Amino acid sequence: MRRREFLLGGAALALAGCGVGPQSAPKPVAVKVVPPKIDGDLLIFNWTEYMNPKVIRRFEKHYGVQVTVSNFDSMPAMMAKLRSGNRYDLIFPTADYVNRLNRLAMLRPLDRGVLKNSGGIYDFFDDPWYDKDSAHTVPYGMYTTGIAWRADKVGELSESWGDLALDRAKGHTFMLDDFQEGIGQANLFNGFDLNTTAPDELEKSKQTLEHEKDFLRGYSTNPAPNLVNGSAWVHHAWNGDVVNARNQSKQPENLRFQTCKEGIPVGSDCMAIPANARHPGTATLFIDWMLDPETASENVSWFGYPMPIKGTEAAFAELAADDPAIQITTEQLANGSQFRELPPDGKVAWDRVWTEVKA
Amino acid sequence: MSVAAERPVEASAPRTARRRAPRPHDRPRTLWVITGIVYAFLFAPIFVVILFSFNSARSLQTFEGFSLRWYEEFFADETLRESLFTSLQIAAITTVVATVLGTTLALGMSRSRSRASGFAGLLLLIPLVTPEIVAGVSAFVLFAQLGIALSVTTIVLAHITFSISYVCVVVRGRLASMGTQIEEAALDLGATPLQAVRLVTLPALWPAILAAAMLVFVLSFDDFVLSFFTTGESPQPLPVRIYSALRFGISPTINAIGTLMLVVSAAIIALAIGLPRLLGRRESGVAVLTGRSTG
Amino acid sequence: MTDAFWRRFIFPGGLWLLFFFVVPIGIAVLISLGENNEFGGVTYGWHSEHYGDALDPLFAPVLLRSVGYAAATAAICLLIGYPVAYCIARYGGRRRNLLIGLIMAPFLINYLVRTYAWVALLADEGLVNSVITDSGITSDPVQFLNTPWAVVGGLVYGYLGFMILPIYASLERMNPALIEAGKDLYGTPRQTFWHVTWPQTLPGVLAGTVLVFLPAVGDFVSAQLLGGPDTYMVGNLIQQQFFGADNWPFGAALTICLMVFLGLFVFLYLRATGRREALA
Repeated sequence: MRRREFLLGGAALALAGCGVGPQSAPKPVAVKVVPPKIDGDLLIFNWTEYMNPKVIRRFEKHYGVQVTVSNFDSMPAMMAKLRSGNRYDLIFPTADYVNRLNRLAMLRPLDRGVLKNSGGIYDFFDDPWYDKDSAHTVPYGMYTTGIAWRADKVGELSESWGDLALDRAKGHTFMLDDFQEGIGQANLFNGFDLNTTAPDELEKSKQTLEHEKDFLRGYSTNPAPNLVNGSAWVHHAWNGDVVNARNQSKQPENLRFQTCKEGIPVGSDCMAIPANARHPGTATLFIDWMLDPETASENVSWFGYPMPIKGTEAAFAELAADDPAIQITTEQLANGSQFRELPPDGKVAWDRVWTEVKA
Repeated sequence: MSVAAERPVEASAPRTARRRAPRPHDRPRTLWVITGIVYAFLFAPIFVVILFSFNSARSLQTFEGFSLRWYEEFFADETLRESLFTSLQIAAITTVVATVLGTTLALGMSRSRSRASGFAGLLLLIPLVTPEIVAGVSAFVLFAQLGIALSVTTIVLAHITFSISYVCVVVRGRLASMGTQIEEAALDLGATPLQAVRLVTLPALWPAILAAAMLVFVLSFDDFVLSFFTTGESPQPLPVRIYSALRFGISPTINAIGTLMLVVSAAIIALAIGLPRLLGRRESGVAVLTGRSTG
Repeated sequence: MTDAFWRRFIFPGGLWLLFFFVVPIGIAVLISLGENNEFGGVTYGWHSEHYGDALDPLFAPVLLRSVGYAAATAAICLLIGYPVAYCIARYGGRRRNLLIGLIMAPFLINYLVRTYAWVALLADEGLVNSVITDSGITSDPVQFLNTPWAVVGGLVYGYLGFMILPIYASLERMNPALIEAGKDLYGTPRQTFWHVTWPQTLPGVLAGTVLVFLPAVGDFVSAQLLGGPDTYMVGNLIQQQFFGADNWPFGAALTICLMVFLGLFVFLYLRATGRREALA
């Protein structure tokens, strides 16, 4: 008996402090700011189809480097790969993940001064909530979440998140397969703060989600094809998805988008250079390249989201010509609800809610 | 002697015909109909993939005209080309290493009666029946714990681990029907055990080894789940790229990629099936894969 | 050639499997007993609450559903796979190798691309529905996708080859004289089949069942691409923990539970075949 206890205790002691991944606070990143200069090929880690390939190829030709784009399909997937030690040169985290990456000291500092095109960035992003003094990031796309629908199937909607539970679209409704967006819209619908972690409020939102689930045909992060091929009559979607859907559809006028009166999740994602990037100089140069108004406009026209860069407004206005709903301005960014990084208990609670709803 | 040889024998046994009811299995129409339907089921998506890879429109629903634009897009995209090359590279290395490890394991297990052999038998069975997600998770946590950065190497290591079992099963099947007489004969003629293995056993085993290698190549080339969990930053193997594309934005280029992968795999198989014939063997790789051999 | 000589052959492959397969499972166990620390890693310890969560009755439906889909998949694969294997083995003649090769041919197209092709075929405005609505059978398109049957269909499509091949192999290895003897003994073809052919091919059937059922339980691709809101499988749940919720301990606990559960089936299979080499 004694020996077994001793062994168990010894094992426990030995294991204590051991684990997988970081076990202690990361050392502060003492890296120098790197000037924008070619120092090797570029490795980008981004969402799929979230950057105009022509822009990339022009960069390659102009500087004589090779650019490789690897893809992730969700923010946690991106984090998982970063945590396991993968070294990318340029990543595209959403605002709340920038917050988290900064806390874990995983981003390289960026000096706006060395970027010749940085003057074109909207002032709102000089000191955003997620990155003090914008020391590590440069904004990329801005997006809102709303509801896209097929007017030829369900007519008009009522500008409310309740439209995700419409009787006439029962069995033809999709929700975004993203726990933040899903719980977020339920929170807004119930009048709570977008990022609430209060247990009773989360419980109510969970019930909303379960109610909405009865009307769903599926969860998807791919609204455009679902809307175009008719599986989805109502789809929880991002504003750029509607632009893409219209491009693919033969009758784009049937595809509509609304933001909802109970609240609009708005967000932005950023370009950032990880601390362990192999070629930060090229990455910095690429960021500068993307900030050029003409290049940015070309990007906007391609991927359908507005970018906060002066000179791209015309390109996006063209896409949003008859649909002010897909427009997003910095006023909306300032006043809209943004997803924040949740405290650890809150995150566990949100995960739990989402897992329970989906199970 | 094969099952098909049964028919001529039946025809020459009229004395038993009286006792038997009409035998529908002599004209197995229903069977062939079922088989035909299954083939249609199996090939319908292939047809769709190949057809729509030549679609001139972006649609995956309506075919509008013949065009090579998706293939052009594929070959113009350096990252996709690199992914294809990476997938081929991974499959090739995996095939070589897994075949060697699996064959030696099969030899050891078939010919030895020790406890190690029994234990290895159990160990061998598990990767075969483990869902890939479990395999992916295990590989992922192993590399995370050892602090090994994910890369093409980690993908290869994971693929090899799960391919060894397939090789072992195929080769063991062949060994079981082979018997030890030829090795014993070689020993009688003065060969050392190692020489006997090298000069007698392995050549006799060759079709099975080739069939196993073919199987491993195709499984590795096509693998998604394992690669998904163990892929490093770049390059990502083709199936991982396809998955990201499917989650976020379908480009019909996927059909071009699928067709290309089909062509590559078919070429490898044709090579593997044809190679024994070219080298003068009587049997084909497919026959060995399914265990039927002419000894 | 002595036992000792052959025993040495076991080591390279055996050691590889031991290190790259058994050790990771050990690590997964450690992670499942650990907890998330605030720095983004997992610290080991003794936190068994993740197993409590994994065995929570809330998630039991997910596992039951996965087992159900996998069982349906195996049953359907057997029902349609056996006749095909039998047909090719007995009536394939000289073309037999080609026919079997053609069965495996779909596996040369990537699993994801194949599954996605089904989406194109079965979509509401896809090819199958166009045929149905054009021919006037019904006027509304039939919803094939985003249903449990779509998921099972996708699984059947993905694993059918693993059922057909072992059955075909065992049919091929059967001594045809047995069928002759059976005909003399039993008279009708049906009796011959049940008393002679079926028992002889049972090892192949068992092997095929195991090769289809077990991996299908953990599949997540079919459910994700073809499924609806109520088709969440245990594979999706595990994937969610590693790449969605960032909750490795819970994901690891789920994985271990799944392995134990499947291990039971493997144990039963081994008992049934008496440890005889029954695969391929």
